[in-house]
This record gives sequence, C-alpha cells and structure tokens, in this order.
Amino acid sequence: MNWLRVLVIGGLTSYRALFNWISPWVFFPILIVYPLFQIVFFAYLGRFAGVGSDEFFLIGNAFIAIAVAGLFGMGHSVAGERRSQTLASILASPASRLALFLGRALPSIVTGFGVAVVSFVLGALILDVDVVAAELGGLALAVLAAAFACTSLGLCLGALGLRGRNVSLFADTIAGSMLLVSGANVPLERLPEWIQALSTVIPLTHGLEAAREIADGSSISGAGGLLLTEAAIGAVYLVLGLGLVRLFELEGRRTATLETF
Amino acid sequence: MTRAFLSGMRIHVLQFTKNAFDVSGVVLWPILYASIAYYVLGAKNDPKLLLAASLGAAVMAMWSIVVIGSSGALEHQRWQGTLELLVAAPVPFAVTLAPITIASGIVGGYSLLATLAWGTLIFDVPLAIDDPLAFAIAVPACIVTIGMLGLITAATFVVYRAAFSLGVSMQYPVWIATGLLVPLSVLPDYVGPISWFLGPTWGFRAIRESALGGTPWPDIGMCLLVSGVYLVVASACLHLFEKLARSRATLRLS
Repeated sequence: MNWLRVLVIGGLTSYRALFNWISPWVFFPILIVYPLFQIVFFAYLGRFAGVGSDEFFLIGNAFIAIAVAGLFGMGHSVAGERRSQTLASILASPASRLALFLGRALPSIVTGFGVAVVSFVLGALILDVDVVAAELGGLALAVLAAAFACTSLGLCLGALGLRGRNVSLFADTIAGSMLLVSGANVPLERLPEWIQALSTVIPLTHGLEAAREIADGSSISGAGGLLLTEAAIGAVYLVLGLGLVRLFELEGRRTATLETF
Repeated sequence: MTRAFLSGMRIHVLQFTKNAFDVSGVVLWPILYASIAYYVLGAKNDPKLLLAASLGAAVMAMWSIVVIGSSGALEHQRWQGTLELLVAAPVPFAVTLAPITIASGIVGGYSLLATLAWGTLIFDVPLAIDDPLAFAIAVPACIVTIGMLGLITAATFVVYRAAFSLGVSMQYPVWIATGLLVPLSVLPDYVGPISWFLGPTWGFRAIRESALGGTPWPDIGMCLLVSGVYLVVASACLHLFEKLARSRATLRLS
C-alpha cells in the first residue's frame, strides 16, 4: 500500500513541480506549438523533396513528441531533485526506488501519449490527412508502446542526472538524433547501413513502423511483432535505468556528490 | 553604456562557449538538420541544392541558438534572482539584453562552419563560394539581423515566466516562414508576405546568393534595414514589457 502511495502521490507531486503548473500556458508552447510546427515543417520538406506522404511525416513527428516528453520529462524528474536540493533527502528515505522513479515515469508516459494524440489530430487537420476510425485503436497501442520505451530511456538519462549535472544535454542530443535515426523523418532505406542497425536497438523505431503499418491498413495482430519488440526494448531500458539509478546512488553516497550542483 | 555593452558581449560569448548544452546545440543541430535534408532531398546530382540546404541548416541553427540561448539566459537570471537587479540597474535594459542575443548569434556563426565542414567531408558538398567578399559581409549581416530579431523576442521573455519553453517553441515557426530549408514557393501563399518581415529571410538569401551566385547586395541592405527597424521595435517592446513586469512585480518569480 505504501509502495502504491509513493508511486502515485510522489509521482503526481513531482510532475506538477516539473511544469510549475501555475498557468497552463507554461505547458502550451513546448508540448503543443513545438511538435505541431515540427510536423508541418517536415511535411512540407517531404512535399518539396517528393519523399514520403504527409501521413509519413505526421506519424513520424507525432511520435517524436512522445520521445521528447519521455526523455526530458523523465530525465528532469530525477535531475530536478538535484536542482531543488531534494535529491539527498529522497535517496535517504527508505521508499522503494522502483516506486519513486516509476511514479515519476507514469505521468511522462501519459504526457507523451496526450501530446502525440493532440499533435496528430491537429496535424491531420492542418495537412488534410484522412484517418480511418478503425485505425485509432492500433495507433493508440503503438503510441503507448513507444511512450513506455522512450520514458524508460528517459529513466537512464535521469540516472545520469545522479552522476552529472546537465541531463538536458543528453536528452537534447538523443531526442535530436531520433529525428534522423528512428526513421521519423527519413525513410530508413535511405539511411546508411550503420544507422539502420542503430535504429533497431533504440526506442521509437519499431513503434513508428507499427503505427505506419496500421495506418496503411494492417491489423493490430499484423503489427503485433513490432509492438512487442517496442515494448521489449522499453523493458530492457527500464531494467537498465533502474540498475543505473542503483549504481549511481551508491556512487553518489560514496563520493558525497548528491547535493553538488 | 558602451562598456556595459562590450563587457556583456564578452561575458556572454564566454558563457555560451563554455556551456556544453549551447555548444552541442551549435555543433550537433545544424549537422543533424543538414543530414536530414541531404537524405530527404537525395540530391547527389544537384550540388547547388545541397550547398543551399547546408546554408539553410546553418541559419536555422543561428536562429535556434539566439532564441534558445537568450530565453535560457533570461530564465537563468530569473532563477538566480539577478533579473530584477539587471532591470533596476541605471544602464538601459536594452544595453544589458542586446549582448545576450548578439553574442548568441556570434556563437551561432560557428554552426555555419560546422555545417559546411560536415557537408564537405561526409556528403561531398562542393564548397565553392561565388563571391567571397559579399559572403564575408553577408554572414555578419545575417548574425546581426537574427540577433536583433532575438532582441524583440527576448523582450517578451522578460514577462514570461517559462521563457525557455517559449524560446524553444519559436524555432520551427521562423524556420518555416523564412524558407530556410523548404522554399517559400512550396508553402501556402500567405507565408510569403510574412517572410518579408523576418530578418533570417534576408540573412539567408544574402548568404545563399553570395555563395551560389546572384545578387546578394540588396539582401544585405535589407538585413541592415530590417535590423534598424527591429532595434526601434525592440526598444519600445522592452520599455513596455519592463513597465509591465515592474507593475506586476513578476521579475522575481521563477
């Protein structure tokens, strides 16, 4: 019961603090304006180059919104504790680390999901992309799987926040690289082989591919393999992230660096 | 005022070049966008298109570093509690703020080198500048006009508590409206007139025309004209927003 309380209440409190939710306008530019204009930008680049359809870029960049929410949200929810000088207090508590950090992960997954849905709907309206209602369930599943995988990677970044100060640098670099490497904006077959190989072990790639297959008429079971792969990649990063949190916590305690900023 | 401006420039150039986040933004992002453009355009047989894409990606990075750098710097001042002191100082606030945006524009100039080097080394983009003199003038003209546009946006950052997120969200709209990577001819007709009012449009055209061959001098002139207008608008905005922030007593809120 206490585990659940730490997970839910701790997570919600941390999430509110993340955005300093005094005004919803704080939320609006970074999570709505930014991804929406990103979709429009790449869709027009595709039109100019004659590569991909509007739907290709719409799905690709809606999913990038998930990555941004997951990577930055999760990364900062841990690193933010250092910034607000509460990291040592949290780690001194007997609370389960899994409950503490999973509590911070769940709102990021929900945010990523919400941002992707809003970006997708508004982007579809602007670009005049038809979406069949029957596809929505499958697309939602793909979004959930990708949100989970990206948030898990975000936990790894957050763990680095226990060790270093500038998580934004990692989150920014990885989120930026995903624009290219995940196939969000460039068809994978156009990329060099080494980038294609890299794309198979990062979050987002398989979720994106599943979403595009579903949008092209495939059933959920038809894209099931890709969805499971995305979820499995997320699970691997989650385990890795929790391991890194443990490792860096021990290291931080040993070197007394948890409060340095 | 001159001393405040120059020392502000020196401090912010040093700060931006020491900050790993800003440096990675300058080096990584233009390379990333240029790579996406190369792979999407796939224009191996059209070197001019590739060079234009490189230059467009570099100017994109310049705008990004100005708008993100200045919003980040102001949010940082707010967090540290020094924003209120800067506004209250006897030196006009514009003199304190302008070095932040121009310094970030100068640092953004590195992105031009990074993109051109990347394009030449990895994608065999030919690095042939048609008019080196015009190019050497077009680059600083572009930096100044982007810095001045950044000054207007920075004025809004003074009253907006989450300046950084606002700054980040301002990137794509300007990239789209100024035709840096996607030609304006592909965009809806109403975007064209908007682009005339945006300095990066003229800065990019000046750089592109001087590199690829054309008539860069009218565009350089437009950069200077637009920069002058921006300075007047930014001064008025700063005066207005500074009064607003003082009356609302929000400068200390983080």
